[in-house]
Amino acid sequence: MNELTALREAGPEAPALSSAARSAARAALLAEIDGPAPARRRKPSRRTTLRLGAAGVAVAAAWTAAVVIAAPDGPGTPADSVTLVDFTMPTFPLSLDPVPDGLRPAFDGDGDGASIAAYDDPTGEHGFTLYVGDDESPRPDEDVAGVEVAAVEEVSVDGRDAELVRWSQDWCTGDGLGEDCGRRAFTWLTWERSEDQWVTIEAHGRYRTSEQVLAIARSLVDRPQPATLDIGLAPAGWSVQFFKTGRVLTLVNDAYEQQEITVHVPLPEDVAPADQVRSSIMGPIGPQLDVVVHGRPAQLVLVDTGYLDQRGWFLQAQFTDGTTFTLQVPDAFTQEQVLEFAEQVTHRP
Amino acid sequence: MVGLRSAHRSIDPPPDPVPLWALPSALPTDAELIARSTSEPEQFTALFDRHAAAVHRYLGRRVGDLADDLLSETFLIAFRRRAAYRPQHVEVRPWLLGIATHVVHGHERTERRRYRTLAKAAGQPEEHAADPAEAADRIDAQALRGPLAGALAALEPRDRDALLLLAWGDLSYAEIAAVLDVPVGTVRSRLHRARRQTRTALGDVSPSSDTPEETR
Repeated sequence: MNELTALREAGPEAPALSSAARSAARAALLAEIDGPAPARRRKPSRRTTLRLGAAGVAVAAAWTAAVVIAAPDGPGTPADSVTLVDFTMPTFPLSLDPVPDGLRPAFDGDGDGASIAAYDDPTGEHGFTLYVGDDESPRPDEDVAGVEVAAVEEVSVDGRDAELVRWSQDWCTGDGLGEDCGRRAFTWLTWERSEDQWVTIEAHGRYRTSEQVLAIARSLVDRPQPATLDIGLAPAGWSVQFFKTGRVLTLVNDAYEQQEITVHVPLPEDVAPADQVRSSIMGPIGPQLDVVVHGRPAQLVLVDTGYLDQRGWFLQAQFTDGTTFTLQVPDAFTQEQVLEFAEQVTHRP
Repeated sequence: MVGLRSAHRSIDPPPDPVPLWALPSALPTDAELIARSTSEPEQFTALFDRHAAAVHRYLGRRVGDLADDLLSETFLIAFRRRAAYRPQHVEVRPWLLGIATHVVHGHERTERRRYRTLAKAAGQPEEHAADPAEAADRIDAQALRGPLAGALAALEPRDRDALLLLAWGDLSYAEIAAVLDVPVGTVRSRLHRARRQTRTALGDVSPSSDTPEETR
């Protein structure tokens, strides 16, 4: 056996490509195909979802997996009933002390915890994003179209070596082609904060000076933060797939990954009037039922998902402060379970 | 599977070939899909469906679980660069593996750490199989795993790229040169160095012999 044969037969093996990972990657590609170039960002008043820095590609994959139905290639069979049990949401491991200008974070993550915390001001023009993970983030890549690296510096954060990169890329706001496009400059800082804990800060606007970025880095403390959108119950045997921007949470049936639950806090302009919920959704097969959640009127509709012969419930309800949220759950839930689940959903924007 | 077929072979003359509803030759080639995708971007998804598993396997052998994220990154970059793809330069699968290789560069420390961890883990005793032949195979493989992982961790990244594109990507020298954008002679020297170091690391564990790849 020579070294090539040895590498093939006894070299490190690859983990299996899971259906979820494949679906996420495919969905990210579809999102890229559907989206215009250059990299785009919606207006701050809409969902601040796609952080299109070099470190944001995986983020895009995660987001799209949360909103695009998985490819029908997974094993298992769908659940035809569920048992609701107490559930604790994953947390983001770090806090800022102090939090600059009273900014509130929005978290992105998966079942292992939040890995991204985005702090943006209301305009979206100024802010920064924290990335935490076991591995270092890839440096902004000039091979990516539109990315330009202006400077790279070696700096220190709490005595640890860190790399600071000033870079820029094409940046668009708005939903139409070519509108509001220009360049956005970022400062990117990454370091191994502790053993196998890599932290990256990507700042823009007034937060991108070296002093600001380093101050943010030094203000990090080990204090977990709970997710903005929380649930107190979940079906036994289901787990968090992704949560994004504090507004979207997806759970998946571990035994059948094509079966999902989505909790969504839509932006005000995307909320259907209460008397038009049924006509605003796809595939309604039942009447619009008037129900009560959090002591407020809510609307429940049985739908055909149009996917793998699955049916589900669509619920539009409100938190006690009047903010609207929606649930999409499979019809493995009874009508009573949908309401029981909804009563435990909370949101802390 | 072959044995099963042999055991159930019919003595009747073979039937006429059954016409396929879609002949393989009717499918667009990879290069045709890329060309079409410049005006019909959705055509690119077919390339994902064809090559995602192979790209993930290559990435997974290098970076483990991080391959899930890097698979996505590889195809996003490929899609953005599709207009620059030249079929006469290199075929699509090697092109994708070349992009994957560049993506791994951003995680070189992760990759090395994985090899070091595997090398350390390979030193731990593992359970023996009940079948003596299987047990012998496992012991052979077990003996190689640690030195191999250690050798990969010690290689220069550029040399490792060339070696793994050859060993795990099954790329030819010319294809490696194309995707790494270096002359074939440079590929040869990198492979010579990488293979020599790997062979040295294996030491007496495995006797070396030439393969057809020596002359590709």
